[in-house]
Amino acid sequence: MDFIQDGFIQAFALLLNRDPATYSAISATLRASGLAMAASLLLGIPLGYLLGYFDFRLKKQIRIIVDTLLSLPTVFIGLVIYALLTRNGPLGEAGLLFTIPGIAIGQVILSLPIIIALTATAVEAADNKLHITLMSLGANRRQIAASTLWEVRLGILAAAVTATGRVLTEVGISLMIGGNIKWHTRTITTAIALETSKGEFGMGIALGLVLLLIALTVNISLAGLRRRI
Amino acid sequence: MEKKEVFRKIEFILVFSITALSGAIFFAAQDSKAAEEGATLLMATTTSTDNTGLLEYLMPAFTEKTGIDIKWISTGTGKALKLGENCDVDVLLVHAPQAEIDFVDKGFGIDRREIMYNDFVLIGPPEDPAHIKGKKVSEALQAIGSSSNVFVSRGDESGTHKMERTLWKLADMQIPEQETWYRQSGQGMLPTINVAGELQGYTLTDHGTYIKYESAAEGKPSLVILVEGDAVLLNQYSVIPVNPKHCSNVKHEKAQTLSNWMSGEEAQRLIGEFKLLGKQLFTPNAAR
Amino acid sequence: MYHIQDVDHYYGEKHVLAIDDISIPEASIVGLIGPNGSGKSTLLKLLGFLEEPTYGSIFFKGQKAAPFSSEVRFKVTLLTQEPYLMRRTVFENIAYGLKIRGDTKDLNKRVEEALALVGLAPENFARRRWSALSGGEAQRVALAARLVLKPEVLLLDEPTASVDADSARLIRDASLKAREEWGTTLVVATHDWQWLFETCDSVRHLLHGRLFRGGLGCAVQGPWKFSREGFLQKELKDGQCLIAPTPEEGKQVAILDPARLRLALPGKVPLLKWNINSLKGYVSRLFLEKNGEIVQTAIKVAELLVAIRLERKQVELLKLFPGREVIILYDSHKIEWL
Repeated sequence: MDFIQDGFIQAFALLLNRDPATYSAISATLRASGLAMAASLLLGIPLGYLLGYFDFRLKKQIRIIVDTLLSLPTVFIGLVIYALLTRNGPLGEAGLLFTIPGIAIGQVILSLPIIIALTATAVEAADNKLHITLMSLGANRRQIAASTLWEVRLGILAAAVTATGRVLTEVGISLMIGGNIKWHTRTITTAIALETSKGEFGMGIALGLVLLLIALTVNISLAGLRRRI
Repeated sequence: MEKKEVFRKIEFILVFSITALSGAIFFAAQDSKAAEEGATLLMATTTSTDNTGLLEYLMPAFTEKTGIDIKWISTGTGKALKLGENCDVDVLLVHAPQAEIDFVDKGFGIDRREIMYNDFVLIGPPEDPAHIKGKKVSEALQAIGSSSNVFVSRGDESGTHKMERTLWKLADMQIPEQETWYRQSGQGMLPTINVAGELQGYTLTDHGTYIKYESAAEGKPSLVILVEGDAVLLNQYSVIPVNPKHCSNVKHEKAQTLSNWMSGEEAQRLIGEFKLLGKQLFTPNAAR
Repeated sequence: MYHIQDVDHYYGEKHVLAIDDISIPEASIVGLIGPNGSGKSTLLKLLGFLEEPTYGSIFFKGQKAAPFSSEVRFKVTLLTQEPYLMRRTVFENIAYGLKIRGDTKDLNKRVEEALALVGLAPENFARRRWSALSGGEAQRVALAARLVLKPEVLLLDEPTASVDADSARLIRDASLKAREEWGTTLVVATHDWQWLFETCDSVRHLLHGRLFRGGLGCAVQGPWKFSREGFLQKELKDGQCLIAPTPEEGKQVAILDPARLRLALPGKVPLLKWNINSLKGYVSRLFLEKNGEIVQTAIKVAELLVAIRLERKQVELLKLFPGREVIILYDSHKIEWL
């Protein structure tokens, strides 16, 4: 139990003394997650809209597939993306293995189903009078899409928050694809895994608290956003 | 009045997306650029090697001497060999001689060079219910088997695990897969020791990890060294560049430089001087 | 304005509308009446080009039109029964239609005019958020959002149903003003008698997705019992019986066409031919139509409500007043089935 106490004390020490290894891990975490979230929002919101808005033959089946992808274990994703990025794999020449963008690619696979599923749900749950109103006021298909997404913005924000939480805290992908290389691809979560396997439980707790702090900061800003819109 | 509202909405969306996107892309690109420059040597090694702190101590000297940047990935022995086979790294530093020889035989690596060794030890509870203290390894293992005392194995194809399996064979015993007293943790060395500590059982560990465990236990470790020094317990580390004929992309020259440097006088001396918590850990043994 | 031809509309397997032929003239005010589920809202959606009919076509100003087509997109607008606003301020809700057309000249002024039209003071309401309005206020804002576009057609789905009396009045006034000033055609689905009799030029009756002739006929549903050879009868709640000729297979609703009914006073019933039957009831309501000459007379017969159009003179002659007992005379042979 002492290691939890130790952890709290160490967390403060690491942050206030600007421990370079810790800050490097924080930077790696933010870079990978930031890139992954940006890409998955850009791709996921339009795809979610299409899935939620249109009625087409395979709609139910695709929805089931998307929902199933929500249960992908991160180690599994890590393995699959490794197979893609390894030297002899299809994307081997891109040299993305053991890099931050490589980790981000894996994290997009993690985050995209969340964004798509929750955006689709938000769009479907939108009052059908919205659609009537928009059409009545003369909106074309594109304007309907934009206005609908704006109307369900709180649902989309919830999707973003959920996905961010998932991406910030995953280990399997960062470890498999990043390689946990110190100063380069060691993220907070892979650092926690490492310290724990070394028996440095106090350090593990400390880093965990640092990650919580980051998550708290992100969520406070998102809450501020929620109020403003 | 309504212009202000329109501006506010546009401003918010723009600022948000531009900041998020460009920040992320910019920083990520920086990292890619460095890798693209191609000056960095990529090495795969084992967690037990990395966890001793030897590489953090030794590699800066290499970079200073040769100007070559080096990054390493520490993982299990099995995966390290796989990374070499898949051409994802340029050079290996592992400690699983039989597997290494296989690796070279299959053409994945060339010029295997022995660099240093540390040793394995058998640890167990101070009460030593199987009475293995001071015995030779083979006898000790037989004693554990016949008294059915708990033995915890790594069970993860690591160098340590492979060593353990070799020792069972040397003791003329079958690997006790099915025995209830044989527990496979599937984890790293320290967690495995902790499991053995909880179960008050025996386990095989590299000396370095035991030193750290002992120190962390603040003078009251649950498990103590019972068997050491036996010749078969030597843990040999070697450097193996990945074979450029198998992988056209590897930085073979730089890998060769690393191999030469590590078997050279400066590195060998530094290895011998490396101390973990006040105790020497590795014995340099590169051929002159 | 509209010409609908052979339209059949389905939701999945369900046949919800079957309309042979109607026309709606420009700048007219048309009422749609019918029980819930009769297809009024669906018809309005089709007229609003929000959906395309499964079969058949709708012609708008002589052109065949479909959803999103440029002929109708900026000209036809529908107001839903339940008030609905987007999650933004009142101002932005009203300005939306203009903004997406890029027609933003004098935006402030036009929005304020629209607010004034529905009886909402711009100073108080323009900045309010969608959630800070009562149901009636919200519906008025929704109407203002459509009126500001000066639409050629305004479709109203039960505009007085979900709002308070004041708002209902203001909505009616604003819609009529639109027709006065811009010649907007109004199609109103409603149960409100004020709309139907005092405002509408013509009224169409929908039942089970079909229109039937004769405007406000009286539809009588089952159960029907055997009466005598070739005839069925329906027992009304007060014991009286309505007699109708046995219909074809599958037809279940009998129509009492008001145009074919005659009124008489108790005690003054003229000698009846053998095929004329009578029903006793009392006057429920008298409504003077817009033209000032015809009085819509609603007569309650047990659970039925029969509406007969009488000339003013007749009403005076019969000395009709609400509550007066009357006899309705009808020819059983002339009853039609649906």
